[in-house]
Amino acid sequence: MDLTRRTLLKTQAAAAAAAAANVTLPASAQNILTGEDLHLQWSKAPCRFCGTGCGVMVGVKDGKVVATHGDMQAEVNRGLNCVKGYFLSKIMYGNDRLTQPLMRMKNGQFAKDGDFQPVSWDQAFDEMARQFKRVLKEKGPEAVGMFGSGQWTIWEGYAASKLMRAGFRTNNLDPNARHCMASAAVTFIRTFGMDEPMGCYDDFENADAFVLWGSNMAEMHPILWTRVTDRRLSHPHVRIATLSTYEHRTTDLSDMALIFKPNSDLAIMNYIANYIIQNGAVNREFVEKHCNFRLANTDIGYGLRPENVLEQRAQHANDAQVSSPSSFEDYAKLMSQYTVEKASELSGIPKERLETLARLYADPKVKVMSLWTMGFNQHVRGVWANHMVYNLHLLTGKIAEPGNSPFSLTGQPSACGTAREVGTFSHRLPADMVVNNPEHRKHAEEIWKLPHGVLPEKIGYHAVQQDRMLKDGKLNAYWIMCNNNLQTAPNTNNETYPGYRNPANFVVVSDAYPTVTAMAADLILPAAMWVEKEGAYGNAERRTHFWHQLVNAPGDARSDLWQLMEFSKRFTTDEVWPAAILDANQGYKGKTLFEVLFGNGEVNKFPLTGIDPAYENREATAFGFYVQKGLFEEYASFGRGHGHDLAPFDTYHEVRGLRWPVVNGQETRWRYREGYDPYVEKGAGLQFYGNPDKKANIMGAPYEPPAESPDAEYDLWLVTGRVLEHWHSGSMTLRVPELYKAFPGAVLFMHPDDAARRHLRRGQEVRVVSRRGEIRSRVETRGRNRVPQGLVFVPFFDASQLINKVTLDATDPISKQTDFKKCAVKVFAASVADAGDVQ
Amino acid sequence: MTAECHISSLVVHSRPERVASIIEGLGLIDGAEVHGGADTGKLIVTLETATESQVIERINAIQLLDGVLAATLVFHHFEPVQERE
Repeated sequence: MDLTRRTLLKTQAAAAAAAAANVTLPASAQNILTGEDLHLQWSKAPCRFCGTGCGVMVGVKDGKVVATHGDMQAEVNRGLNCVKGYFLSKIMYGNDRLTQPLMRMKNGQFAKDGDFQPVSWDQAFDEMARQFKRVLKEKGPEAVGMFGSGQWTIWEGYAASKLMRAGFRTNNLDPNARHCMASAAVTFIRTFGMDEPMGCYDDFENADAFVLWGSNMAEMHPILWTRVTDRRLSHPHVRIATLSTYEHRTTDLSDMALIFKPNSDLAIMNYIANYIIQNGAVNREFVEKHCNFRLANTDIGYGLRPENVLEQRAQHANDAQVSSPSSFEDYAKLMSQYTVEKASELSGIPKERLETLARLYADPKVKVMSLWTMGFNQHVRGVWANHMVYNLHLLTGKIAEPGNSPFSLTGQPSACGTAREVGTFSHRLPADMVVNNPEHRKHAEEIWKLPHGVLPEKIGYHAVQQDRMLKDGKLNAYWIMCNNNLQTAPNTNNETYPGYRNPANFVVVSDAYPTVTAMAADLILPAAMWVEKEGAYGNAERRTHFWHQLVNAPGDARSDLWQLMEFSKRFTTDEVWPAAILDANQGYKGKTLFEVLFGNGEVNKFPLTGIDPAYENREATAFGFYVQKGLFEEYASFGRGHGHDLAPFDTYHEVRGLRWPVVNGQETRWRYREGYDPYVEKGAGLQFYGNPDKKANIMGAPYEPPAESPDAEYDLWLVTGRVLEHWHSGSMTLRVPELYKAFPGAVLFMHPDDAARRHLRRGQEVRVVSRRGEIRSRVETRGRNRVPQGLVFVPFFDASQLINKVTLDATDPISKQTDFKKCAVKVFAASVADAGDVQ
Repeated sequence: MTAECHISSLVVHSRPERVASIIEGLGLIDGAEVHGGADTGKLIVTLETATESQVIERINAIQLLDGVLAATLVFHHFEPVQERE
C-alpha cells in the first residue's frame, strides 16, 4: 500500500468518524465508500446483540457477510458501533458452527445415555414428535414446555406462542428475558397499566441529569453512553450520577459515583422520596390529577422452593403481588422512616452525597433521566426497586416529557419486541393481554381463528420454575431455543442440569453453536442466525426494526421459525385438543397444527410475489407464502387501535425502525403526553391511559434484606455480570478471535486488601465456593472493575468457569426474576485446597 | 501470512479540561493520529495497525487514558500491504 493510498484511507476514516460525531474537520471527504466497498452488497440490519438496537450496514460478498459498519442513517447510533457490533460479521463463522441435527443414539436408536450422532431433520423431528406425543398422552399439556428468547425475531416468538398455547394447549412458555427484565416489565404494568417506557432515546439530548441505578452503561450499552457523554460535554451544567455496588468504567466517568451496600438501593430511593416530601418538592397538582397511592404487601419471601425456611417464614410469600389502595398521607408516613441517617447507615454512602443526589430529583428545574438495567431487575425486590424510581418521577411530575424520563434499558435485542410485546412469558398474550383473563383469551382465539376454549387459562411455569419442574420430573418434553440456559440460570448444578439429564425428560436445544446447554440436551437442532433469515426486533425505546435475509445458513441449519412451523405439521388436532372442543367444532377435526395455526387464511394470505426479489427468503420458499408478513400482520392486529399500533409490514423494510404506537404513519416519541401521543384526549394534557382511570400508581414499599448475606463462613458478596467484549454467555462473541483475545477468560475481581488477607496474589488460581457449588477462577485486583472490600465480581460469559453453579436461585417473588447480584461466597487459594482440604 | 495494513477511525469523547493531555497521550500510542475535534471534546482519531487485534488493544489503551469518557470505533478497512508496493 503506498503512502498516498494510506493517506486517502485515513482521510476517509477520519471523515466517517467526524460525520458520526457531528464534528467538522478542516478538510473533509464526503464519500466514505472505498473502491473495494463497491463490490459488496450493503443492506441494513439491527445489531444482533444488546437491547440498544443500533443500526448496522451489512456488506455481503459471494454469499458471505464480510463487513459491517455503523449505519449513518440509524437514529440510535448515527454511524457508531461498539466493538461487539463492529465484529458482527464474524459471529456466524465460528469453526464449530452446527450444521446438522445431532441426537443421542445407541444401536441406531435414540438413547438418553447415548452419544451425539448426526441425523436428518426427518429422523430428528420423528423422535421429537414421538416423545412430545408420549408425554402429552401420559401426562397432558402441563408436562410440555418451551424456553424461548429475547433474541427471537418477532415472528419466531409469535409462532412459538401459537404453537405452545393454541397447539399444545400449555402456557409453559417463558423467555430467557425472565432472567433479564421481568421486574421492569411487571412494574410497568403495575404502575401504568401498559408495558415499556414512555420516553425514548431522544431524552438523552434533553436531560440535565442522568442517574444510573445498577447500570454499567459505559461497558454494557456503550453507544447510548456516547449519547450521555455527548450531552455532558456539550452542556456543562449536566451531571451524571452512578449508583453501583462496585466501581467500574461508568463510575470512573461520572460526576458522582455512589457505591452502596447490596440491596440498600431500596432505602436510598425511599430516602429520596422522603426528601422530596419533607422539602415541599412534591408536585401536588400533578400527583392529585394523575396518581393513585397504593401500599405493597410486605415480607414477601424470596421466590425459593416453597419448603425453604425463608419462604415458610415469610408472611406474604403466596400473595406477594397484592397491594392495597392508600393515601398520600400513609405513603408519606411510610417514607418518613427513611431519614438520611438511616439511608446512610444502610447504604454506607455519606449523608451529604445522598442529599446532593436527592436534590437532583427534588429541584423542579432539573430534568432527570433515570436509567437502570440488571442491578435493579436482577434483585429479590426488583419490582419494588422499579416502583420506587417511578415514585420519584411521579411525585415530582418529571415524566413523559423530553428529558424527564424513567428509562429501563434492556439487555437483549428483542426483549421488548418479542418477549414482551408478542407476549412469550408464561402469563402473557400479545399486546399486554394475559392468559388468565377470559376476555383476552377469547379475543386471541378470534384473531387466531380458533375454536373457543382452546387457549388454556392456567399460568405456565416461569423460567426458574421450569428448571425445578424438570428436576422434579413434572415437565418432561422441553424445547430450548435461542438461549444458553445451563450457563445463565441460577444454581445450575442443583436446579438446572439435573432436570436436563433426568431420564424422564426429553430435552431439545436449537442453537447455532454447541453451547453447554446444547451439550446437555438429548437432541440438538442447528439454527440459522441473524441475517441468515428475515427478521424483526424491538429495542428498548419501542423501536421495531426489520432486516432481510442476506445470506444462507450453512449446511442443514434452519431458522427457529422454520423449525417451529415444520414441527407443527407432525401433530393433528385429534392428538392434542380435547374431544369436546373438536366435537363442537367439526371443521377442525383431523387437521394438522400447521393447518390450523399457520394455514388459517391470515398467516398464509400473502403470496411469494410480495417478497423483495433482491433477497432470498428460505422460510417463505419452504412454506409457499410470505410467512413473515402473514405472521406479522396477524400479530399487529392485536395492537392496532389499542395503543400498540405497528406500521404496515412493508414500511419497516424501508425505514430504520419506528417507535410504536405508529398512528397515521407517525411514530410516538413520548407516550401519555398531549402533543406527542395521539392517544391522549384533547385538552387532557397527560393521561396514563393504560389504566382505566388514566392514573399511574405510586407504590409504597419498605426496605427488606436480601435472601442471603455474607456471614462468618461465607464472608463475601458475589456479584455476577458482563464485560464489554462479551455478550451474555459468550456463545457468539467468544467465537470472534479478536474479542476472545481481548478478554479470554473470566476472572474474579477482588479488593487488594481482601486478597492480601487471604494471602492471594494477582493471577493466582482460587476456588469460589457457595453453599450450592463452586468454580475455579483467577484473582484480579486491578483492571476495569474495582470492587469494595467484602465483595467480589465474576463475569458469567466463560463456559469453563460456570459461575452460576455458585449463585442462588432466589427470585423477586412478584416478577420471578432471579437475583444474580447477591449471594454469599468464600474464596481461597486452589493450591491450598489441593494440598490439604479434600472435601 | 500476508502482511496487512488496518486503517480504522474512532471518536474519542474527552473531558474538555483534559483534551490537551489526552492528545499528548494519543501521540504515544503507536499508529494513532488526531485529525481534529479538540474544540468539542470529541477527538477524531485514526489508527494504523498491522492486525485487527491491535485495533482492539489500541482502543482499550485509549479508553484508559485519564479523562477519556468513551472511545468508539466508526470505520475500519484493511488490505494486504504488498498489493500496491
